[in-house]
Amino acid sequence: MRNVFAIVRKELLQYFTTSVAYWVFAVFSLVTSFFFIRILTFFQRSIMLNSQMRPQMLQYMNFTDQVLAPLFYNAAVILIFVAPFLTMRLIAEERRARTFDLLLTNPVTPFQIALGKYLASLVVLLVMVLLTLVYPLLVSAYAEVGAVAWSTVFTGLLGIFLLGASFTAIGMFVSSLTQSQVVAAFLTFLVLLLLWVVGWAGADNAGLAREILTGLSAIEHIRGFAKGVIDLKDLAYYASLIGLGLFFTHRSIETLRWR
Amino acid sequence: MIEVTNLVKRYRDLVAVDGISFKVEKGEVLGFLGPNGAGKTTTMRILTGASPATSGKALVAGFDVFEQPLEVKRRVGYLPEQPPLYDDLDTRSYLQFVARIKGLRGEKQKNEIERVIAACNLESVRRRRLGELSKGFRQRVGLAQALLGDPEVLILDEPTIGLDPNQIVEVRTLIQKLAEKHTVILSTHYLPEVIQLCKRVVIVHRGRIAANDTLENLTAGGRSLEQTFYDLTQQ
Ligand SMILES: Nc1ncnc2c1ncn2[C@@H]1O[C@H](COP(=O)(O)OP(=O)(O)OP(=O)(O)O)[C@@H](O)[C@H]1O
Ligand SMILES: [Mg+2]
Repeated sequence: MRNVFAIVRKELLQYFTTSVAYWVFAVFSLVTSFFFIRILTFFQRSIMLNSQMRPQMLQYMNFTDQVLAPLFYNAAVILIFVAPFLTMRLIAEERRARTFDLLLTNPVTPFQIALGKYLASLVVLLVMVLLTLVYPLLVSAYAEVGAVAWSTVFTGLLGIFLLGASFTAIGMFVSSLTQSQVVAAFLTFLVLLLLWVVGWAGADNAGLAREILTGLSAIEHIRGFAKGVIDLKDLAYYASLIGLGLFFTHRSIETLRWR
Repeated sequence: MIEVTNLVKRYRDLVAVDGISFKVEKGEVLGFLGPNGAGKTTTMRILTGASPATSGKALVAGFDVFEQPLEVKRRVGYLPEQPPLYDDLDTRSYLQFVARIKGLRGEKQKNEIERVIAACNLESVRRRRLGELSKGFRQRVGLAQALLGDPEVLILDEPTIGLDPNQIVEVRTLIQKLAEKHTVILSTHYLPEVIQLCKRVVIVHRGRIAANDTLENLTAGGRSLEQTFYDLTQQ
Protein backbone atom coordinates (compact mmCIF):
# COMPACT_ATOMS: atom_id res chain seq x y z
CA MET A 1 0.00 0.00 0.00
CA ARG A 2 2.91 2.33 0.75
CA ASN A 3 4.16 1.86 -2.78
CA VAL A 4 0.74 2.83 -4.06
CA PHE A 5 0.80 6.03 -2.02
CA ALA A 6 4.31 6.83 -3.19
CA ILE A 7 3.06 6.64 -6.76
CA VAL A 8 -0.07 8.66 -5.97
CA ARG A 9 2.08 11.42 -4.47
CA LYS A 10 4.44 11.48 -7.41
CA GLU A 11 1.60 11.58 -9.93
CA LEU A 12 -0.16 14.39 -8.05
CA LEU A 13 3.09 16.33 -7.93
CA GLN A 14 3.33 15.95 -11.70
CA TYR A 15 -0.31 16.92 -12.24
CA PHE A 16 0.32 20.19 -10.45
CA THR A 17 3.88 20.99 -11.56
CA THR A 18 2.95 20.46 -15.20
CA SER A 19 -0.21 22.56 -14.51
CA VAL A 20 -2.31 19.92 -16.28
CA ALA A 21 -4.53 19.91 -13.18
CA TYR A 22 -5.00 23.68 -13.24
CA TRP A 23 -5.86 23.71 -16.92
CA VAL A 24 -8.36 20.93 -16.47
CA PHE A 25 -9.96 22.76 -13.52
CA ALA A 26 -10.08 26.01 -15.45
CA VAL A 27 -11.58 24.58 -18.63
CA PHE A 28 -14.12 22.48 -16.77
CA SER A 29 -15.25 25.41 -14.59
CA LEU A 30 -15.40 27.78 -17.52
CA VAL A 31 -17.58 25.52 -19.62
CA THR A 32 -19.87 24.45 -16.78
CA SER A 33 -20.37 28.08 -15.74
CA PHE A 34 -21.31 28.92 -19.30
CA PHE A 35 -23.94 26.19 -19.27
CA PHE A 36 -25.08 27.18 -15.79
CA ILE A 37 -25.74 30.76 -16.83
CA ARG A 38 -27.56 29.67 -19.98
CA ILE A 39 -29.76 27.20 -18.17
CA LEU A 40 -30.45 29.60 -15.33
CA THR A 41 -31.41 32.40 -17.68
CA PHE A 42 -33.76 30.08 -19.52
CA PHE A 43 -35.27 28.97 -16.20
CA GLN A 44 -35.82 32.59 -15.13
CA ARG A 45 -37.46 33.46 -18.40
CA SER A 46 -39.88 30.56 -18.20
CA ILE A 47 -40.78 31.48 -14.62
CA MET A 48 -41.61 35.02 -15.69
CA LEU A 49 -43.53 33.80 -18.71
CA ASN A 50 -45.52 31.33 -16.62
CA SER A 51 -46.31 33.79 -13.85
CA GLN A 52 -47.92 36.07 -16.43
CA MET A 53 -49.64 33.49 -18.61
CA ARG A 54 -50.19 30.33 -16.56
CA PRO A 55 -49.64 30.90 -12.85
CA GLN A 56 -50.92 27.38 -12.11
CA MET A 57 -47.80 25.97 -13.83
CA LEU A 58 -45.47 27.60 -11.32
CA GLN A 59 -45.92 24.87 -8.73
CA TYR A 60 -44.37 22.39 -11.18
CA MET A 61 -41.24 24.43 -11.66
CA ASN A 62 -38.29 23.90 -9.40
CA PHE A 63 -34.62 24.75 -9.49
CA THR A 64 -33.32 21.27 -8.83
CA ASP A 65 -35.08 19.56 -11.72
CA GLN A 66 -34.91 22.35 -14.21
CA VAL A 67 -31.46 23.77 -13.60
CA LEU A 68 -29.32 21.30 -11.71
CA ALA A 69 -30.35 18.15 -13.56
CA PRO A 70 -29.56 19.58 -17.02
CA LEU A 71 -26.38 21.13 -15.61
CA PHE A 72 -25.17 17.75 -14.40
CA TYR A 73 -26.03 16.22 -17.73
CA ASN A 74 -23.97 18.88 -19.50
CA ALA A 75 -21.09 18.45 -17.09
CA ALA A 76 -21.07 14.75 -17.99
CA VAL A 77 -20.72 15.62 -21.67
CA ILE A 78 -17.88 18.03 -20.91
CA LEU A 79 -16.04 15.21 -19.19
CA ILE A 80 -15.73 13.47 -22.54
CA PHE A 81 -13.54 16.33 -23.65
CA VAL A 82 -11.64 16.84 -20.41
CA ALA A 83 -10.94 13.28 -19.24
CA PRO A 84 -8.51 12.43 -22.09
CA PHE A 85 -6.23 15.27 -21.00
CA LEU A 86 -6.30 13.99 -17.47
CA THR A 87 -5.08 10.53 -18.41
CA MET A 88 -3.00 10.88 -21.59
CA ARG A 89 0.28 11.34 -19.72
CA LEU A 90 -0.12 8.56 -17.15
CA ILE A 91 1.72 5.71 -18.86
CA ALA A 92 2.51 6.92 -22.39
CA GLU A 93 4.91 9.56 -21.12
CA GLU A 94 6.68 7.15 -18.75
CA ARG A 95 7.32 4.88 -21.68
CA ARG A 96 8.57 7.66 -23.93
CA ALA A 97 10.86 9.17 -21.29
CA ARG A 98 12.07 5.68 -20.27
CA THR A 99 11.10 6.34 -16.66
CA PHE A 100 8.94 3.26 -16.90
CA ASP A 101 12.14 1.25 -16.44
CA LEU A 102 12.58 2.94 -13.08
CA LEU A 103 9.22 1.55 -11.96
CA LEU A 104 9.92 -1.86 -13.46
CA THR A 105 13.34 -2.23 -11.80
CA ASN A 106 12.18 -1.24 -8.33
CA PRO A 107 10.18 -3.43 -5.95
CA VAL A 108 6.79 -2.24 -7.21
CA THR A 109 4.19 -4.55 -8.76
CA PRO A 110 2.30 -3.73 -11.96
CA PHE A 111 -0.91 -3.61 -9.96
CA GLN A 112 0.54 -1.04 -7.57
CA ILE A 113 1.62 1.07 -10.54
CA ALA A 114 -1.84 0.94 -12.11
CA LEU A 115 -3.66 1.60 -8.85
CA GLY A 116 -1.38 4.46 -7.79
CA LYS A 117 -1.74 6.21 -11.10
CA TYR A 118 -5.48 5.68 -11.14
CA LEU A 119 -6.02 7.00 -7.61
CA ALA A 120 -4.02 10.13 -8.44
CA SER A 121 -6.23 10.84 -11.44
CA LEU A 122 -9.28 10.29 -9.21
CA VAL A 123 -8.04 12.93 -6.76
CA VAL A 124 -7.80 15.50 -9.53
CA LEU A 125 -11.19 14.40 -10.84
CA LEU A 126 -12.75 14.73 -7.40
CA VAL A 127 -11.53 18.30 -6.97
CA MET A 128 -12.84 19.11 -10.42
CA VAL A 129 -16.27 17.64 -9.66
CA LEU A 130 -16.46 19.44 -6.32
CA LEU A 131 -15.90 22.72 -8.16
CA THR A 132 -19.43 22.33 -9.57
CA LEU A 133 -20.70 22.68 -5.99
CA VAL A 134 -20.28 26.42 -6.52
CA TYR A 135 -23.49 26.63 -8.53
CA PRO A 136 -25.95 25.17 -6.01
CA LEU A 137 -24.12 27.07 -3.25
CA LEU A 138 -24.53 30.34 -5.13
CA VAL A 139 -28.17 29.67 -5.74
CA SER A 140 -28.89 28.71 -2.14
CA ALA A 141 -27.15 31.87 -1.00
CA TYR A 142 -29.52 34.03 -3.03
CA ALA A 143 -32.68 31.97 -3.28
CA GLU A 144 -35.49 31.50 -0.77
CA VAL A 145 -35.35 28.64 1.69
CA GLY A 146 -35.50 25.15 0.23
CA ALA A 147 -34.67 26.13 -3.33
CA VAL A 148 -31.89 23.56 -3.58
CA ALA A 149 -32.54 19.89 -2.93
CA TRP A 150 -29.16 18.94 -1.52
CA SER A 151 -29.77 15.21 -1.83
CA THR A 152 -30.10 15.65 -5.58
CA VAL A 153 -26.95 17.75 -5.64
CA PHE A 154 -25.18 14.95 -3.86
CA THR A 155 -26.36 12.17 -6.17
CA GLY A 156 -25.67 14.36 -9.20
CA LEU A 157 -22.08 14.97 -8.13
CA LEU A 158 -21.69 11.29 -7.30
CA GLY A 159 -22.94 10.41 -10.78
CA ILE A 160 -20.50 12.81 -12.43
CA PHE A 161 -17.66 11.49 -10.33
CA LEU A 162 -18.45 7.88 -11.19
CA LEU A 163 -18.74 8.75 -14.86
CA GLY A 164 -15.40 10.60 -14.70
CA ALA A 165 -13.85 7.66 -12.83
CA SER A 166 -14.98 5.35 -15.63
CA PHE A 167 -13.54 7.70 -18.23
CA THR A 168 -10.17 7.97 -16.47
CA ALA A 169 -9.99 4.18 -16.11
CA ILE A 170 -10.49 3.88 -19.86
CA GLY A 171 -8.04 6.73 -20.51
CA MET A 172 -5.35 5.16 -18.36
CA PHE A 173 -5.62 1.90 -20.27
CA VAL A 174 -5.39 3.69 -23.61
CA SER A 175 -2.37 5.61 -22.31
CA SER A 176 -0.60 2.30 -21.73
CA LEU A 177 -0.98 1.36 -25.40
CA THR A 178 1.20 4.07 -26.91
CA GLN A 179 4.26 6.19 -26.20
CA SER A 180 2.60 9.33 -27.53
CA GLN A 181 0.45 11.50 -25.28
CA VAL A 182 -1.30 12.98 -28.31
CA VAL A 183 -2.26 9.57 -29.64
CA ALA A 184 -3.41 8.53 -26.16
CA ALA A 185 -5.61 11.61 -25.76
CA PHE A 186 -7.09 11.25 -29.23
CA LEU A 187 -7.86 7.54 -28.91
CA THR A 188 -9.39 8.05 -25.48
CA PHE A 189 -11.54 10.83 -26.85
CA LEU A 190 -12.74 8.56 -29.66
CA VAL A 191 -13.67 5.78 -27.25
CA LEU A 192 -15.51 8.18 -24.93
CA LEU A 193 -17.29 9.75 -27.89
CA LEU A 194 -18.40 6.30 -28.95
CA LEU A 195 -19.72 5.63 -25.46
CA TRP A 196 -21.78 8.79 -25.78
CA VAL A 197 -23.20 8.41 -29.28
CA VAL A 198 -24.36 4.82 -28.79
CA GLY A 199 -27.02 6.55 -26.70
CA TRP A 200 -28.20 8.49 -29.77
CA ALA A 201 -28.20 5.31 -31.79
CA GLY A 202 -30.30 3.82 -29.03
CA ALA A 203 -32.83 6.62 -29.29
CA ASP A 204 -33.20 5.94 -33.02
CA ASN A 205 -34.02 2.31 -32.44
CA ALA A 206 -36.79 0.48 -30.71
CA GLY A 207 -37.24 -2.58 -28.56
CA LEU A 208 -34.29 -4.68 -27.53
CA ALA A 209 -31.76 -2.79 -29.67
CA ARG A 210 -32.80 0.40 -27.95
CA GLU A 211 -32.42 -1.15 -24.52
CA ILE A 212 -28.96 -2.46 -25.26
CA LEU A 213 -27.64 0.65 -26.96
CA THR A 214 -28.86 3.06 -24.32
CA GLY A 215 -27.67 0.61 -21.68
CA LEU A 216 -24.17 0.88 -23.16
CA SER A 217 -24.16 4.65 -23.29
CA ALA A 218 -22.06 6.11 -20.51
CA ILE A 219 -23.96 9.38 -20.44
CA GLU A 220 -27.43 7.83 -20.24
CA HIS A 221 -26.52 6.31 -16.90
CA ILE A 222 -26.10 9.77 -15.42
CA ARG A 223 -29.79 10.66 -15.89
CA GLY A 224 -30.90 8.82 -12.78
CA PHE A 225 -28.22 10.42 -10.61
CA ALA A 226 -29.08 13.86 -12.00
CA LYS A 227 -32.70 13.36 -10.88
CA GLY A 228 -31.64 12.22 -7.43
CA VAL A 229 -32.06 8.49 -7.94
CA ILE A 230 -29.26 6.03 -7.27
CA ASP A 231 -30.03 2.98 -9.37
CA LEU A 232 -28.14 -0.25 -8.88
CA LYS A 233 -27.99 -0.70 -12.66
CA ASP A 234 -26.15 2.59 -13.08
CA LEU A 235 -23.76 1.82 -10.24
CA ALA A 236 -23.02 -1.59 -11.73
CA TYR A 237 -22.40 -0.02 -15.12
CA TYR A 238 -19.79 2.43 -13.83
CA ALA A 239 -18.24 -0.12 -11.50
CA SER A 240 -17.71 -2.51 -14.39
CA LEU A 241 -16.13 0.18 -16.60
CA ILE A 242 -13.76 1.09 -13.77
CA GLY A 243 -12.96 -2.56 -13.06
CA LEU A 244 -12.34 -3.32 -16.73
CA GLY A 245 -10.14 -0.25 -17.14
CA LEU A 246 -7.98 -1.19 -14.17
CA PHE A 247 -7.84 -4.84 -15.18
CA PHE A 248 -6.71 -4.11 -18.72
CA THR A 249 -4.20 -1.49 -17.56
CA HIS A 250 -2.72 -4.08 -15.24
CA ARG A 251 -2.53 -6.61 -18.07
CA SER A 252 -1.02 -4.04 -20.35
CA ILE A 253 1.72 -3.15 -17.86
CA GLU A 254 2.43 -6.86 -17.44
CA THR A 255 2.92 -7.29 -21.18
CA LEU A 256 5.05 -4.13 -21.37
CA ARG A 257 7.30 -5.85 -18.88
CA TRP A 258 7.53 -8.80 -21.22
CA ARG A 259 8.88 -6.85 -24.16
CA MET B 1 26.73 -12.81 -6.25
CA ILE B 2 25.69 -12.64 -9.90
CA GLU B 3 25.50 -15.72 -12.05
CA VAL B 4 24.35 -15.62 -15.66
CA THR B 5 23.85 -18.86 -17.55
CA ASN B 6 23.16 -19.14 -21.26
CA LEU B 7 21.23 -15.93 -21.48
CA VAL B 8 19.49 -15.33 -24.81
CA LYS B 9 17.47 -12.31 -25.86
CA ARG B 10 15.79 -12.22 -29.22
CA TYR B 11 14.04 -9.19 -30.72
CA ARG B 12 11.98 -10.73 -33.50
CA ASP B 13 14.67 -11.85 -35.99
CA LEU B 14 17.54 -10.11 -34.21
CA VAL B 15 19.50 -11.98 -31.56
CA ALA B 16 20.76 -9.22 -29.25
CA VAL B 17 22.19 -11.57 -26.61
CA ASP B 18 23.25 -14.98 -27.83
CA GLY B 19 23.99 -17.39 -24.97
CA ILE B 20 26.00 -15.31 -22.52
CA SER B 21 27.34 -16.87 -19.31
CA PHE B 22 29.51 -15.24 -16.66
CA LYS B 23 29.87 -14.86 -12.90
CA VAL B 24 30.60 -11.91 -10.66
CA GLU B 25 31.86 -12.54 -7.14
CA LYS B 26 30.87 -10.47 -4.13
CA GLY B 27 32.89 -7.29 -3.81
CA GLU B 28 34.03 -7.46 -7.41
CA VAL B 29 33.78 -4.68 -10.02
CA LEU B 30 33.25 -6.29 -13.40
CA GLY B 31 34.12 -4.29 -16.47
CA PHE B 32 31.46 -5.03 -19.06
CA LEU B 33 32.84 -4.04 -22.44
CA GLY B 34 31.89 -4.39 -26.05
CA PRO B 35 31.37 -2.39 -29.23
CA ASN B 36 28.14 -0.48 -29.85
CA GLY B 37 25.23 -2.85 -30.25
CA ALA B 38 27.10 -5.77 -28.67
CA GLY B 39 24.29 -6.45 -26.20
CA LYS B 40 25.60 -4.82 -22.99
CA THR B 41 22.53 -2.72 -22.25
CA THR B 42 20.25 -5.60 -23.18
CA THR B 43 22.02 -7.91 -20.72
CA MET B 44 21.90 -5.33 -17.94
CA ARG B 45 18.19 -4.71 -18.52
CA ILE B 46 17.56 -8.42 -18.13
CA LEU B 47 19.57 -8.60 -14.90
CA THR B 48 17.59 -5.75 -13.38
CA GLY B 49 14.20 -7.07 -14.41
CA ALA B 50 13.50 -4.25 -16.86
CA SER B 51 13.00 -6.78 -19.62
CA PRO B 52 12.73 -10.57 -19.74
CA ALA B 53 15.17 -12.94 -21.38
CA THR B 54 14.08 -15.20 -24.20
CA SER B 55 15.82 -18.07 -22.43
CA GLY B 56 18.55 -18.74 -19.93
CA LYS B 57 18.99 -18.20 -16.24
CA ALA B 58 20.18 -15.31 -14.11
CA LEU B 59 20.83 -15.26 -10.38
CA VAL B 60 21.39 -11.93 -8.65
CA ALA B 61 22.13 -11.72 -4.91
CA GLY B 62 21.04 -15.32 -4.57
CA PHE B 63 17.64 -14.90 -6.22
CA ASP B 64 16.43 -15.91 -9.64
CA VAL B 65 15.64 -12.80 -11.68
CA PHE B 66 12.66 -14.49 -13.32
CA GLU B 67 11.33 -16.46 -10.34
CA GLN B 68 11.70 -13.88 -7.57
CA PRO B 69 12.02 -10.53 -9.32
CA LEU B 70 10.93 -8.46 -6.31
CA GLU B 71 13.68 -9.93 -4.12
CA VAL B 72 16.23 -9.10 -6.79
CA LYS B 73 14.89 -5.57 -7.26
CA ARG B 74 15.19 -4.89 -3.53
CA ARG B 75 18.91 -5.59 -3.74
CA VAL B 76 19.91 -3.96 -7.01
CA GLY B 77 20.64 -0.34 -7.83
CA TYR B 78 20.39 0.32 -11.56
CA LEU B 79 21.58 3.23 -13.61
CA PRO B 80 20.04 2.73 -17.07
CA GLU B 81 21.74 3.90 -20.25
CA GLN B 82 19.39 6.89 -20.27
CA PRO B 83 18.87 8.27 -16.75
CA PRO B 84 15.18 7.66 -15.88
CA LEU B 85 14.27 11.18 -14.73
CA TYR B 86 10.89 12.87 -14.41
CA ASP B 87 11.55 16.25 -15.99
CA ASP B 88 8.80 17.98 -14.02
CA LEU B 89 10.11 17.06 -10.59
CA ASP B 90 13.01 18.72 -8.81
CA THR B 91 16.04 16.71 -7.71
CA ARG B 92 14.87 16.34 -4.14
CA SER B 93 11.31 15.25 -4.79
CA TYR B 94 12.58 12.86 -7.43
CA LEU B 95 15.02 11.22 -5.03
CA GLN B 96 12.27 11.18 -2.42
CA PHE B 97 9.98 9.27 -4.77
CA VAL B 98 12.64 6.71 -5.64
CA ALA B 99 13.52 6.31 -1.95
CA ARG B 100 9.85 5.64 -1.19
CA ILE B 101 9.43 2.94 -3.81
CA LYS B 102 12.64 1.38 -2.56
CA GLY B 103 10.93 1.12 0.81
CA LEU B 104 12.97 3.73 2.69
CA ARG B 105 10.97 5.62 5.34
CA GLY B 106 11.38 8.35 7.90
CA GLU B 107 14.84 9.21 9.18
CA LYS B 108 16.48 6.53 7.05
CA GLN B 109 14.95 8.05 3.94
CA LYS B 110 16.17 11.55 4.79
CA ASN B 111 19.66 10.34 5.61
CA GLU B 112 19.93 8.30 2.46
CA ILE B 113 18.81 11.20 0.28
CA GLU B 114 21.34 13.50 1.92
CA ARG B 115 24.03 10.87 1.53
CA VAL B 116 23.53 10.40 -2.21
CA ILE B 117 23.16 14.14 -2.77
CA ALA B 118 26.54 14.62 -1.15
CA ALA B 119 28.11 11.60 -2.88
CA CYS B 120 27.06 12.79 -6.34
CA ASN B 121 27.64 16.51 -5.70
CA LEU B 122 24.03 17.50 -6.26
CA GLU B 123 23.83 20.13 -3.52
CA SER B 124 23.64 22.97 -6.04
CA VAL B 125 20.75 21.46 -7.99
CA ARG B 126 18.69 20.15 -5.08
CA ARG B 127 15.75 22.45 -5.91
CA ARG B 128 16.18 22.55 -9.67
CA ARG B 129 13.68 21.01 -12.05
CA LEU B 130 15.27 17.91 -13.60
CA GLY B 131 14.21 18.97 -17.09
CA GLU B 132 16.43 22.06 -16.77
CA LEU B 133 19.58 20.20 -15.75
CA SER B 134 22.60 19.81 -17.99
CA LYS B 135 23.46 16.36 -19.31
CA GLY B 136 26.17 15.75 -16.74
CA PHE B 137 23.92 16.67 -13.85
CA ARG B 138 21.16 14.45 -15.21
CA GLN B 139 23.65 11.61 -15.30
CA ARG B 140 24.63 12.32 -11.69
CA VAL B 141 21.01 12.38 -10.51
CA GLY B 142 20.57 9.04 -12.28
CA LEU B 143 23.57 7.68 -10.41
CA ALA B 144 22.33 9.10 -7.10
CA GLN B 145 19.03 7.31 -7.62
CA ALA B 146 20.86 4.00 -8.14
CA LEU B 147 22.82 4.45 -4.90
CA LEU B 148 19.72 5.09 -2.74
CA GLY B 149 19.29 2.48 -0.03
CA ASP B 150 22.86 1.30 -0.48
CA PRO B 151 21.98 -1.82 -2.50
CA GLU B 152 24.45 -4.70 -2.45
CA VAL B 153 24.50 -4.98 -6.24
CA LEU B 154 25.01 -2.04 -8.58
CA ILE B 155 24.45 -2.27 -12.30
CA LEU B 156 25.77 0.84 -13.97
CA ASP B 157 25.34 1.40 -17.70
CA GLU B 158 27.98 3.92 -18.76
CA PRO B 159 27.92 5.91 -15.50
CA THR B 160 30.57 8.47 -16.45
CA ILE B 161 29.20 9.39 -19.86
CA GLY B 162 28.71 13.14 -20.24
CA LEU B 163 30.53 14.09 -17.06
CA ASP B 164 33.22 16.76 -16.92
CA PRO B 165 36.80 15.63 -16.15
CA ASN B 166 36.52 16.53 -12.46
CA GLN B 167 33.30 14.62 -12.09
CA ILE B 168 34.69 11.62 -13.93
CA VAL B 169 37.44 11.47 -11.33
CA GLU B 170 34.93 11.87 -8.50
CA VAL B 171 32.55 9.22 -9.79
CA ARG B 172 35.41 6.79 -10.36
CA THR B 173 36.63 7.37 -6.82
CA LEU B 174 33.08 6.82 -5.63
CA ILE B 175 32.82 3.51 -7.48
CA GLN B 176 36.21 2.50 -6.13
CA LYS B 177 34.97 3.14 -2.59
CA LEU B 178 31.76 1.21 -3.29
CA ALA B 179 33.79 -1.71 -4.59
CA GLU B 180 34.78 -2.78 -1.11
CA LYS B 181 31.31 -3.82 0.02
CA HIS B 182 29.33 -3.97 -3.20
CA THR B 183 29.17 -6.01 -6.34
CA VAL B 184 29.29 -3.85 -9.42
CA ILE B 185 28.77 -4.45 -13.12
CA LEU B 186 30.12 -1.47 -14.97
CA SER B 187 29.65 -0.97 -18.67
CA THR B 188 31.78 1.71 -20.24
CA HIS B 189 33.63 2.70 -23.39
CA TYR B 190 36.43 4.43 -21.46
CA LEU B 191 39.17 1.86 -21.11
CA PRO B 192 41.26 3.84 -18.58
CA GLU B 193 38.24 3.59 -16.32
CA VAL B 194 38.31 -0.16 -16.62
CA ILE B 195 42.01 -0.27 -15.85
CA GLN B 196 41.48 1.87 -12.77
CA LEU B 197 38.39 0.14 -11.40
CA CYS B 198 38.09 -3.45 -12.58
CA LYS B 199 40.03 -6.58 -11.80
CA ARG B 200 37.98 -8.66 -14.17
CA VAL B 201 36.62 -7.87 -17.60
CA VAL B 202 33.96 -9.40 -19.82
CA ILE B 203 34.02 -8.36 -23.45
CA VAL B 204 30.89 -9.09 -25.46
CA HIS B 205 30.73 -8.99 -29.20
CA ARG B 206 27.60 -9.55 -31.27
CA GLY B 207 25.79 -10.94 -28.26
CA ARG B 208 28.48 -13.49 -27.40
CA ILE B 209 31.28 -13.52 -24.87
CA ALA B 210 34.55 -12.69 -26.62
CA ALA B 211 36.60 -12.61 -23.42
CA ASN B 212 36.05 -13.29 -19.74
CA ASP B 213 39.32 -12.84 -17.92
CA THR B 214 41.28 -10.80 -15.44
CA LEU B 215 42.55 -7.45 -16.53
CA GLU B 216 46.02 -8.78 -15.88
CA ASN B 217 45.69 -11.58 -18.41
CA LEU B 218 44.03 -9.36 -20.99
CA THR B 219 46.94 -6.93 -20.85
CA ALA B 220 49.63 -9.56 -20.50
CA GLY B 221 52.83 -9.25 -22.45
CA GLY B 222 52.72 -5.48 -22.52
CA ARG B 223 49.64 -5.35 -24.73
CA SER B 224 47.29 -2.47 -24.17
CA LEU B 225 43.63 -3.11 -23.33
CA GLU B 226 42.76 -1.14 -26.47
CA GLN B 227 44.74 -3.60 -28.57
CA THR B 228 43.08 -6.62 -26.95
CA PHE B 229 39.63 -5.06 -27.37
CA TYR B 230 40.37 -4.31 -31.00
CA ASP B 231 41.62 -7.85 -31.73
CA LEU B 232 38.65 -9.50 -30.05
CA THR B 233 35.93 -7.41 -31.67
CA GLN B 234 37.15 -7.14 -35.23
CA GLN B 235 35.76 -10.08 -37.16
N1 LIG C 1 13.82 -2.74 -27.96
C1 LIG C 1 14.58 -3.24 -28.95
N2 LIG C 1 14.00 -3.72 -30.08
C2 LIG C 1 14.75 -4.25 -31.06
N3 LIG C 1 16.08 -4.34 -31.04
C3 LIG C 1 16.73 -3.88 -29.95
C4 LIG C 1 16.02 -3.31 -28.86
N4 LIG C 1 16.91 -2.94 -27.91
C5 LIG C 1 18.13 -3.26 -28.41
N5 LIG C 1 18.02 -3.82 -29.63
C6 LIG C 1 19.15 -4.32 -30.45
O1 LIG C 1 19.91 -5.21 -29.67
C7 LIG C 1 21.28 -5.06 -29.97
C8 LIG C 1 22.06 -4.84 -28.70
O2 LIG C 1 21.75 -3.54 -28.20
P1 LIG C 1 22.34 -2.99 -26.83
O3 LIG C 1 21.64 -1.72 -26.55
O4 LIG C 1 22.28 -4.05 -25.81
O5 LIG C 1 23.85 -2.69 -27.20
P2 LIG C 1 24.99 -2.06 -26.28
O6 LIG C 1 26.04 -3.10 -26.17
O7 LIG C 1 24.43 -1.51 -25.05
O8 LIG C 1 25.51 -0.88 -27.23
P3 LIG C 1 26.03 0.59 -26.86
O9 LIG C 1 27.48 0.46 -26.60
O10 LIG C 1 25.78 1.35 -28.12
O11 LIG C 1 25.25 1.08 -25.71
C9 LIG C 1 21.39 -3.93 -30.97
O12 LIG C 1 21.54 -4.49 -32.26
C10 LIG C 1 20.08 -3.20 -30.85
O13 LIG C 1 19.72 -2.64 -32.07
MG1 LIG D 1 24.33 0.31 -24.19
